[in-house]
Amino acid sequence: MRILISSQPRLLHILRGVVRLLAVESGFPESDADNIAMAVDEAAANVIRHTYKGRDDAQLAVEVLRLPDRVEYLLEDWGPRVCSEQIRPRPLDEVRPGGLGTYFINCFMDTCSYDRDFPGGNRLRMVKYFPRKA
Amino acid sequence: MKVHVRHAPDVSILDCSGDVDLYTSTRLRDALLAELRSGVHSVLVNMSEVGYIDSSGIATLVEALQLSRQTQTRFGLFGLRGNARSVLELARLHKVFHLFANEQEALEKIGSVQPFSGV
Repeated sequence: MRILISSQPRLLHILRGVVRLLAVESGFPESDADNIAMAVDEAAANVIRHTYKGRDDAQLAVEVLRLPDRVEYLLEDWGPRVCSEQIRPRPLDEVRPGGLGTYFINCFMDTCSYDRDFPGGNRLRMVKYFPRKA
Repeated sequence: MKVHVRHAPDVSILDCSGDVDLYTSTRLRDALLAELRSGVHSVLVNMSEVGYIDSSGIATLVEALQLSRQTQTRFGLFGLRGNARSVLELARLHKVFHLFANEQEALEKIGSVQPFSGV
């Protein structure tokens, strides 16, 4: 499934809701679905704030790929190329506003990386594996 | 997300409800900073009806915490549950804020805590 939205912060709650529902439909437990929705929300918010610098007339897309052992969430934007090496969560012992979004994404997803071959923008690939059955 | 401000003697209580995210956190920020600058003795945030808070919401609370240090205002949160509590814990901020179980406990104890000094 592919979700295409404009870069308006007021739409993020809709994105969260859809991603969460899809995660439950895919077989993730409710708690994982909440965390996945938050990770995608944080990633989309980062695009709006940092890549698009608050512009609300751009677009971003989330592609959800269900595979046998995992679901991949591909967040695409068409802004300036992101230097992934510069994106780091802040140390948790520094109590200051900001810098937690990337930390939450890393906590809630199993892997997270940029596809370098994506033309014209950025594609962040966030992967969540299904829990192993006992 | 809605923010409703109640004023009691020496304390302002901000009742928040709904999701606090990139879009709505500015509403909470405006209300919080205004109360912290008002000269009131204590500011409390009622989080019991907040179902979701993201990093921008957390950043708003940290900014308020820092301002409370400057204004020597006692600042606390109560009623945290679900996502809001787990996110604060994940960011290891639950030990930084004054947290109370409910409004009654917050009103009883906020007057005796020290204004923050470590952030």
